[in-house]
Order: sequence, then structure tokens, then C-alpha cells
Amino acid sequence: MPAVNQTGKREKIKLVFFFLILIIFTLLLLLMPRVSTPLIFGYVIYLIINPAVPALEKLGVNRLGSILIVFSSLIFFSTYPFIKIVPTISSEVENIQYYVPKIEGFVTKKYKELKYEVKDKTSYEIDDKYFYEAVDWVKNTSGSVLLNVPNFLASFLEWIFLIPLIVFFLLKDGRSFKRSFLRLIPNSVFERFYHLSYQFNRKLGDYIFAKFVEASIVGLIITSGLLIMEVRFALLFGIIAAVTNIIPYVGPVLGFVPASLFAFAEYGYGTTSGAIITLYLIANAIDMALVFPILVSKIVDLHPLTVVVSVILGSQWLGIVGMIVSIPVAAAFRLILDEVYKEIYQDN
Amino acid sequence: MSYEKEISEKIDKNEPLPEKLEISVLKYFWQSNPIMGKKVDSIPKFLRKIEVLKNFTENELRILAKFLHLRKFNAGERIFNQGELGVGFYFIYSGYTDLVVGEEIKNEATGERKPGHIITLEKYDYFGELALLQQNSTRNATAISRQGCDLLGLFKPDVDQLINIYPLIAAKLLQSVSLIVANRLFSLTREVQELKYKISTMENNASS
Repeated sequence: MPAVNQTGKREKIKLVFFFLILIIFTLLLLLMPRVSTPLIFGYVIYLIINPAVPALEKLGVNRLGSILIVFSSLIFFSTYPFIKIVPTISSEVENIQYYVPKIEGFVTKKYKELKYEVKDKTSYEIDDKYFYEAVDWVKNTSGSVLLNVPNFLASFLEWIFLIPLIVFFLLKDGRSFKRSFLRLIPNSVFERFYHLSYQFNRKLGDYIFAKFVEASIVGLIITSGLLIMEVRFALLFGIIAAVTNIIPYVGPVLGFVPASLFAFAEYGYGTTSGAIITLYLIANAIDMALVFPILVSKIVDLHPLTVVVSVILGSQWLGIVGMIVSIPVAAAFRLILDEVYKEIYQDN
Repeated sequence: MSYEKEISEKIDKNEPLPEKLEISVLKYFWQSNPIMGKKVDSIPKFLRKIEVLKNFTENELRILAKFLHLRKFNAGERIFNQGELGVGFYFIYSGYTDLVVGEEIKNEATGERKPGHIITLEKYDYFGELALLQQNSTRNATAISRQGCDLLGLFKPDVDQLINIYPLIAAKLLQSVSLIVANRLFSLTREVQELKYKISTMENNASS
């Protein structure tokens, strides 16, 4: 039947065209970080606050009204922390640079003590090369990270105008964007694609929301605990703990290392250092025992091994960002694999 | 002065009209009216004529229409295949859809292959409702567009969103869908009863 052949051919063209658009869009996102970073941040914020809009709509407020309420309360509640936090962090970052030599001296001293002890007991002399290479690496990377914080904050100021704009239009026109995108999907893959992308988006939204809450709880506990103990750089360490907490398993340790080094160098092996370590242990215990099982684990039911492997792979490709992104990406792969599995085996 | 006014004045004054009314010109200006061109309301109007949606108010239909996806299918294009996982429920907006079940039936005499055709659906009909209710719904039949058709699809994600945003409309929709399913179940049960009766009479005839 020629008509059917014609249809099949047109369907193939549509399929190619559709996947080409997807690929080009992804490439553009990867190639233009200056545009894509605020876009991604905007999308993440959109995913976090979006559930509030239907909740308000259910109360009878119309769509634009509920968007305006959600959006203006977001602006209202985030302005004060920004004005307060940004200068504090900038000054803390500037000040902590002066502490780096002190911490380095402390670590070197400890290393030498350990080296002599090992030599005394086993008569094996540890080669200094590895230690100094490691110290150099840590110093350079942490130095570059810390030096980059002001730059990051500067682009942050640019984003302060850009991200709210993106969030607002995603809230307002998100549905019509989605509808016009759905119109492009060829008939033969429409049902599956729509279903899959919806499930993935919901999972991603839930995951990001859960992680956001988890990180805020950990950050809040640590910052307030350190403030009560009157430890310097409380806010900075709290934020480091919150951000690294997003990374599964490795994150809490990464967040703990700078604070513990600082504590030992500054306060020695005394009560204060002990208190700081206890604080981190308590924060992570609360996270592991209460927050994680209730919020996160139900959303992304990946096997711990899968989590570890995907975090390692992510760190290899994209560093810290890769570690953070790895879990949602792994969850997406799993979703697609599940669907393919059903497709292949359900028929029998 | 507009052409329309000119003519109506001539009619009022009983003046002779031009031999041929410029209907095409009139029609053009009438249709170029910006409100006329858009068929914004046509989907709710279409939904109004569907029997199972009669408990919806006009406003609810207007909202429901926003969640439907208009999909165009060419002649002979498959909408879904039997045994495939399905998430969509379709109303026929225009055109015809064939529902086909099972393997192709081969006509021994002519050698012509013919699929096991069950029914041809037309405008205002609907199909695929089980996909909205079942968890991993597999299609019971293959749907093929005949001569091209426009379908209004409602998919599981849309129902989820409806439940979140407009619970009342979602409840009414699910009520309608269960009505469809209940009607089918009722007729199926009757058919099964009839078949059972036929079998028992056949068994009785065979034994006697």
C-alpha cells in the first residue's frame, strides 16, 4: 500500500527530526555554560517551588495569582539572607586564606611526628615526596576554589537578575512550553516518551526537593552549632557541609575534613575540637537516621553499589558537579532500562 | 462606507440592488474577523457532545480541554499496537479509527490477508480507556487510523496533574471512565451468560 509507505517514511523523518532537536539542544546546553548554568539553576529552583502553585490553585486562587504569590514570597524570603550572607561569606573566605599556612604547618608537624614514630618502630622511612605532593595538591586546589569564590559570587550577582526571570517564566509558561514540545514528538513514540519524561521529571523534582531539604537541615544544624560554640567561619563550614552533603556517602566526610583540620590547628586536641567533631557526628547521625530514610531513599531506590559506582563515574567525568549529578542520571538510566525491560519481556 | 452598510441602506430605501451580491467579498470580510478565525472553543464544544461527559459543566470541559492533546494521524498509521504498553485514552475528534484484534486472517480461497477487524469507530467515539486505570496496561487491540484522523488523547501524566490541580474534574473524569468500563463489563457479563447458556444447551443436545 503506497499510502502506508508514505506514512512510514514521513514518520521516520519526524523521528529523525525530533531526536536531532533533542541532541542539538543538549549540545547547546553543554557548550554554553554561561547560559546553561543559570538555566539549570532556574530549573532546579522551579522544580523546588513548583509544587506550591497547584496547592494554591486548589484553594481557588487563579493560576497567575498563585504564581505571583509563590514568586514574590520566594523573592521576599531570599532577599534578606542574600544581603546578609553574601558579604559574610566573602569576608570569611578572605580571612580563611590567612589560616591556610597555619593548618599546613600543623599537618606537616603531625606528619613528621608520625614519620619518626614509624621509623622508630618499624625502621621504615616514609618517602617525603608523596606527602609534599599531596599537600601541594590540596593547597593548590583549595586555594583555587577559595580564590574562585569571589568570582563565583560575582557571576552570582549576574544570576540574581537572570534566575528569577527564568523561574518566573518557567512557572508562568512552563505548561505551554511543554505542550508545544509535546506537539513535536512523533506519534509512534509519543505515549512512551511522554510517560517516561513525566516520570523522570517527577522523580528528579522529588529528588532535588528532598536533597535540598536534607542539605538545609545539615547546614542549619552545623552552622548554628558552630555559632553557639563561637567557632570562626561557622557560616562557611555550614555551607560547605550542606553542599557536600548532596554527594552520597563521600559527601559528609568531605564536608567534615576542612572543619576538623581547622579545629585541630586552631584549638588543639581539646574540648572545643571534640565538641566540633561531636557536632558533625550528631548532624550526620540525624541525617542518616531520620532525614535520609524518610525523604530521599523512597524516591531513588538505587542499590548502594549502584550509587557508589555512579558517584565514582560522575567524579571522573565532571568532578564535584559530576558527583552531584550522578544520582539523578543513574535514576534516569534505571527508569529507561525498566521501560525497555518491560517492553521486551512483557509480551511473553 | 462599508459594502455591507451600502447594501442594507439600499434595501431600506427600496433602491434597486446590484444584480449580483458580492457574497465572496462579504464572506471574506466576515471571516477575516479575528474572533472567527480561532477555533479556541471547538474542543470544549466537541466534548459537550460526548455522552459520558455529560456531568461536566461548561467550565470544567474548558479546563479538561487544556489537558487534552490533539494528535493527527495519517491514513493507515498505527495509533497503538496490540500487546504494547499503553498510557493513553483517545476521543475521535474527526475521521475514523479501525480496531483490529489478533493475527491476520488469511482467506484460503483468494489468498488475501485480512486482519481480524472488530469495529470501526467514528467521531465522538472513544477507545483505550483501560490504559488510564490499569497499572501496566497492555493494549487489547491494534488501533489504525483509516483515511487519517484527529484524536484527542488524555494520558496518565495528565490525569495525575488533573488530580493534583483540579481534583473535582479528575473525580468526574474517572467517574466517566469507570462508567465506560462498567458498561462494557455489563455487556460482557451478559454475553458470557448467553454463551454459557448456549454451551449448556449444546451439551444437553449432545448427551441426549
